[in-house]
Amino acid sequence: MENKESLGKLIKDLRERAKEIKCIYQVQEILNNQSLSTDDICQKIVNTLPPGFQYPDVCRSKILLSGKEYTDQKFSETKWCISSQIMIRGETTGQIKVYYTEERPDEDEGPFLKEERKLLDSIADQFAMHILHKQLKTVFEEGQLKIKEKKSEWWVILDLLKRTDPRLLVNIAQKMLNYLCLSGINEAEKFLDEFNPSFKKKTELFRESNFPTSVVETNDVLNKSTHVFDIASRHISEEDILESIQKWIKEDRSGFMVNILENMSSSLSEISNAIERYHHLSGQGLELSRPRAKSFRVALTRRVLTDQPSFIGIAKEHVRVDDFNSLMKTIIHPQKSHGKIGGKGSGLFLAQHILKNSVEDGEIKSKIKFPKSWYITSDGILEFMNYNGLQDIVEQKYKDISQVRHEYPYVIQVFKNSAMPPEMIKGLSLALDDLGSDPLIVRSSSLLEDRFGTSFAGKYKSLFITNKGTKEKRLQQLTEAITEIYASTFGPDPIEYREEHSLLDYLEEMGIIIQQVVGNRIGHYYLPSFSGVAFGMNEYRWSPRIERDDGLMRIVPGLGTRAVDRISDDYPMLISPGKPDIRVNSTVEEKIRYSPKSLDVINLETDQFETVQFSEIYEKYGNEYPFLQHILSEVDDKYLRTPKKIGHDYSDKFHIVTFDGLITKTSVIQDIRKLMEIFREKYGTPIDLEFAHDGNDIYILQCRPQSSPEENLPADPPLNIPKKDIIFTSQKHIPNGYVPDITHIVYVDPAAYSAISSYDDLVNAGRIIGRLNKILPKRQFILLGPGRWGSRGDIKLGVSVTYSDINNTAALIEIAMKKDEYVPELSFGTHFFQDLVEADIKYLPLYPEDGRSVFNSRFFGSSKNHLADILPDMAYLSNAVKVIDVAEVSAGKNMHIYMNGDEQKAFAVLSEPAGRVSLKRKVSAPEFKKAKTDLHWKWRLNYAQEIALSLDQERFGVKGFYIFGSVKNATAGPMSDIDILIHMNGTEEQKHDLKSWLEGWDRCLSRVNYFNTGHKTEKILDVHFITDEDIKKKTSFALKIGALTDAARPLPLKRQ
Amino acid sequence: MGNAYNPYKTAQEQFDKAAVILELDDAARDLLRTPMKEFHFSIPVRMDNGGRRIFKGFRIMHNDARGPAKGGIRFHPHETVDTVRALSMLMTWKTAVADIPLGGGKGGVICDPHDLSLNEQEQICRGWVRQNFKNIGANIDIPAPELMTNAQHMLWMLDEYETITGHRNPGFITGKPVGMGGSLGRVESTGYGVMLCVREALKELNIKPAGTTASFQGFGNVARHAIELYNKMGGKVLCVSSWDQKEMKEISYCKDDGIDLAELKKITDPFGGIDKTKAKDLGYTVKEGGEWVRKDVDILVPAAIENQITSENIGLISPGVKIIAEGANNPTNPSVEPELNRRNIKLIPDLLANSGGVICSYFEQVQSNANYYWDRNEVFGKLDQKITSAYISVSEFSQKNKFDMRDAAYIISVDRVATACRERGWV
Repeated sequence: MENKESLGKLIKDLRERAKEIKCIYQVQEILNNQSLSTDDICQKIVNTLPPGFQYPDVCRSKILLSGKEYTDQKFSETKWCISSQIMIRGETTGQIKVYYTEERPDEDEGPFLKEERKLLDSIADQFAMHILHKQLKTVFEEGQLKIKEKKSEWWVILDLLKRTDPRLLVNIAQKMLNYLCLSGINEAEKFLDEFNPSFKKKTELFRESNFPTSVVETNDVLNKSTHVFDIASRHISEEDILESIQKWIKEDRSGFMVNILENMSSSLSEISNAIERYHHLSGQGLELSRPRAKSFRVALTRRVLTDQPSFIGIAKEHVRVDDFNSLMKTIIHPQKSHGKIGGKGSGLFLAQHILKNSVEDGEIKSKIKFPKSWYITSDGILEFMNYNGLQDIVEQKYKDISQVRHEYPYVIQVFKNSAMPPEMIKGLSLALDDLGSDPLIVRSSSLLEDRFGTSFAGKYKSLFITNKGTKEKRLQQLTEAITEIYASTFGPDPIEYREEHSLLDYLEEMGIIIQQVVGNRIGHYYLPSFSGVAFGMNEYRWSPRIERDDGLMRIVPGLGTRAVDRISDDYPMLISPGKPDIRVNSTVEEKIRYSPKSLDVINLETDQFETVQFSEIYEKYGNEYPFLQHILSEVDDKYLRTPKKIGHDYSDKFHIVTFDGLITKTSVIQDIRKLMEIFREKYGTPIDLEFAHDGNDIYILQCRPQSSPEENLPADPPLNIPKKDIIFTSQKHIPNGYVPDITHIVYVDPAAYSAISSYDDLVNAGRIIGRLNKILPKRQFILLGPGRWGSRGDIKLGVSVTYSDINNTAALIEIAMKKDEYVPELSFGTHFFQDLVEADIKYLPLYPEDGRSVFNSRFFGSSKNHLADILPDMAYLSNAVKVIDVAEVSAGKNMHIYMNGDEQKAFAVLSEPAGRVSLKRKVSAPEFKKAKTDLHWKWRLNYAQEIALSLDQERFGVKGFYIFGSVKNATAGPMSDIDILIHMNGTEEQKHDLKSWLEGWDRCLSRVNYFNTGHKTEKILDVHFITDEDIKKKTSFALKIGALTDAARPLPLKRQ
Repeated sequence: MGNAYNPYKTAQEQFDKAAVILELDDAARDLLRTPMKEFHFSIPVRMDNGGRRIFKGFRIMHNDARGPAKGGIRFHPHETVDTVRALSMLMTWKTAVADIPLGGGKGGVICDPHDLSLNEQEQICRGWVRQNFKNIGANIDIPAPELMTNAQHMLWMLDEYETITGHRNPGFITGKPVGMGGSLGRVESTGYGVMLCVREALKELNIKPAGTTASFQGFGNVARHAIELYNKMGGKVLCVSSWDQKEMKEISYCKDDGIDLAELKKITDPFGGIDKTKAKDLGYTVKEGGEWVRKDVDILVPAAIENQITSENIGLISPGVKIIAEGANNPTNPSVEPELNRRNIKLIPDLLANSGGVICSYFEQVQSNANYYWDRNEVFGKLDQKITSAYISVSEFSQKNKFDMRDAAYIISVDRVATACRERGWV
């Protein structure tokens, strides 16, 4: 039964199709008949249509064209009807309608089948084509005729336009009129009033009407347009007119882009559609004039990428309009979006297209790749918050920073539990299909970042996701990562940073980049072979042979996270791409000590971002790790051996990271250097790159003009410093930087040091430095000494210290004094260079005898030396080692060192304590910067006073309570502890009780500090106990009481 | 600056004291106070940027009465002739105290490898050999790695030397990698040497090593191999200290039933830094750096840096301590030595205790000359024999002549060199 029924239906369907096809053939036959007039054709089609439909007996049809109506004989209108538009050149010129005169059962569209809808549409299309063809043919024939009549060529064009595209004609006429006026033709100027402004209104009307029905309305304008050309023909040559007309017609084809781009209210989707359309047209020979192309590039850059003028200035030279077409396909945005993709995304896009469009060198092009990326526009976050009703979270930023920190975990939870708007989900799903199943990194791309040249480096989150499992799971992973990054906008660090930089009142517009992670699967880890950052300018030169613009690379095996940030317990490899052979570390010992030992990876099993020991990886997976032979060297006692590509056993030998193979056997370093030079030329400024290497290719992950962290900006001293307040200057090998508020100077006198006669005393000079390093206020003193700090081998050449003896200094300064007719080479801090870099301790060489530099010997000679007060047992070396209390000898001033690497000038001057002196900046605008408001020392001091006041003297046997160090000196930072000295004469038991009493305070204060700064400090109270005897003997911290320099300050105790 | 510190002068003064004790005649004093030969030369190098630079090179042979001179080549930007002179003299005493048939020399180039590419360093090494090849060689004077030079530099020098002479001559230089003329056992030799001396000292005290206890400062190459041998001998190490790079201070790790070397090595970086957290997890008591010296043990081994046993901590040394073996250079401040003597603590001086290194270097040269390389056990067997007899001579000399071990080691070496000179008819 069933079979029979379905067979019956099949036969019925086929019969219907046959009828429809027959109908199409008939219509085509009619259209192909050259002898028929338009009227005839219409009439014949009307008659042909009904037999093509399911119920021909009750079927009637009608055509409306250019105001005329054609029907079959028994025609009557009913409610059962379908119709198709007849579109010619994008405008509706008529309709074809089909009716049933009686009710029939419901099918796909009322009583009509979906196949019948298709039939009607295709007939309408064919008919429209036919009409257009006919129109053009007439015009063409007439044109031919006119040529024969020797009419000018451009008249032919105008005539053609008049019939086919009057809108364009008027448009061109207007341009011609403007052109004539600009050329100073009086006749045209007079006519201008007539043509304008009523014209516009009329054209608007005109555009809405259906050509050629409203000929009456437009005739006037068309005539006036023609008149414009009459004027033109009297004043300019035929060729000029023709050329202009041709140019303007071409331009008009891209006019839709102008409309969209110039209209600030057009959304990204509209822009996207326009670019897509442009893309198709450009395939058909659409050309843009140079100014128009440039204006498109600028407009697109501004709307889609960023509105930073300097960026636009570069982008317009290198990015083509069509390049945006593929970009737009990878942008996810809310429906009515006006967002952009933000700084990071734009930088990458620009770099990619500079390389693609503006670089000739095919070799470098083929070597550099860019990871596949998708973008979410900056207003995605606002859409997300609106969708979930989270608008009030915006208020977070105006709350007290400790409250922000307190509530941040809650904000994260709220965000993570909120849903993505469905349209964004759709976009993300597409993105996942395109990006594939390798791990992804989701990075923030903030608009604030490019707005003021501020670098939010590390302030917003970047998250890695493993991107594995079902599509649903991957999508969930991805949306969670995005929401977490959205939440990080309201984290305490960025809010604090924005407040400091007066950026708080801007909307939080946060773009997102979703990028494939470059790398390979190695074991159950995923990682690139190595990654790094490259800086156009080298602010950390380890040899006088390295120039600033030789650049600097920090590279590490695995993910680049360890190269980007300073790391406290490991080291990245430093390479100067301009001089890759001058290595920081020269001896095998140094190479081992400073070789990177850990690496960051994505663990595909635990779905975690992890730090692992490199040895664990290479021992197990050495032969699967691409490029490993260029990263590691085998250590054979004192010999470093570069592994062979094949047959090297990584499992049982000791290896270190040297990148020796990379430097000597590959072109990677040169390639990156070359790339940086290309970008430097195109950007007109040094740039920073982030890159990764998967064993085959270099991938660029980020590219932006060098954005120095604040401490690396060039700094110039204030004007009008009296000569006596200049302590020293230097003009060679100067890095950028600013070291403010130096309260103490430790000066090792070169002459006195080299006159020391005993080896032990030379050693002791080094020990003095080590002890001072622990006593003097951290990062507020500088070390100034002869020759090579940390000299090994010959102690006479410089004070023998290790890094732990100097790690609290603010700057390490070496003085080169002439010795037997030659100036010794300085060490450039090589002995602990990498420690200095990671701790950001500035290094500066002085050449006092070069004839240009100032070295204020009087200051060093006559200032009071506190060495004997601080270390009485070392007083006998007072002539060689001096400790100068800057404030004491300069009536309360501090010393500040200003270093300007661009001009190769450094100044150390005495002036008022800076707090914060605004630096002369190149990139950012100083006026946006507020004075720092977080006074870490102030609340610390308040609490210390509070502790002193509430301390029960009798109960604990306390005689005195002192504060010293950074809190007393008002220089405490977020990590500083509170140095307290308690003078007591109680019993051990009392001391024990006091300790536990203080422990309570300590915990409380650590918490307070955490809420204020986000730094988790284990202990914030650093309490030292001293007795009467200590004070008498002046042992250890008892020295601080009544000391001549940096004395501890007594705090009032509870009244008894 | 007339009396500014000068290492050469210091070395001469030290020698003068020994000369007085040994009642050396003027000729012997004149000969041994100064190097016998000095070569100063210029090394032109074509730099990577195409320019030329001239580097100053030296080779100073202090004495070769007992055999071909031996000593390192230093790269240092501020090298002075006097430093090289002092160090060449020290090499003469070092080879003599170990009683190996070699003399003392030293050389160097004024340069900073930190400012030079590897290619430029290679040019310097080759240039150094070209300027000086007539004055060096397996039977004349044998270079080795020293400050800022390593096995790579030695191979370049060897290659240049062999190219010039037209012979394969691996005995020309030491410090080569194994397989390229190097000796097995080089890494272990210094640490083993320290413990072999301790073994002899215990023997003198009639104590069996098994059951004794020790405490070490440092956990680097020397300490680790010394501990390895000590454990084999049956001793127990109760404490090691190591430098914590993160905390910038020394930390002691203690275990009353003895540390487990293998497990500690697993949590140690190549510089001897022990992972504090992991050590705690393994049951080690973590104490402040100075703890190693307070331990109630039989043997203290300072094997880290100089000047560690001083007047400040001498009082902390447990009454049970019988031996201090100097694994590092100058770990004991001279001012506390009388106190150690008073307490009857046997001090094995650095010159003797860490002579395992120079002995192995000599073995490398012997093997290279014979072009026949020993297995590890043969190296260690010969090391044992050599250092044991060196220890016994010093110890006997000290007892017989009532010198402390340090003075005895120094004087015996001067005496051996002076005797050789005399027998050759030089003085």
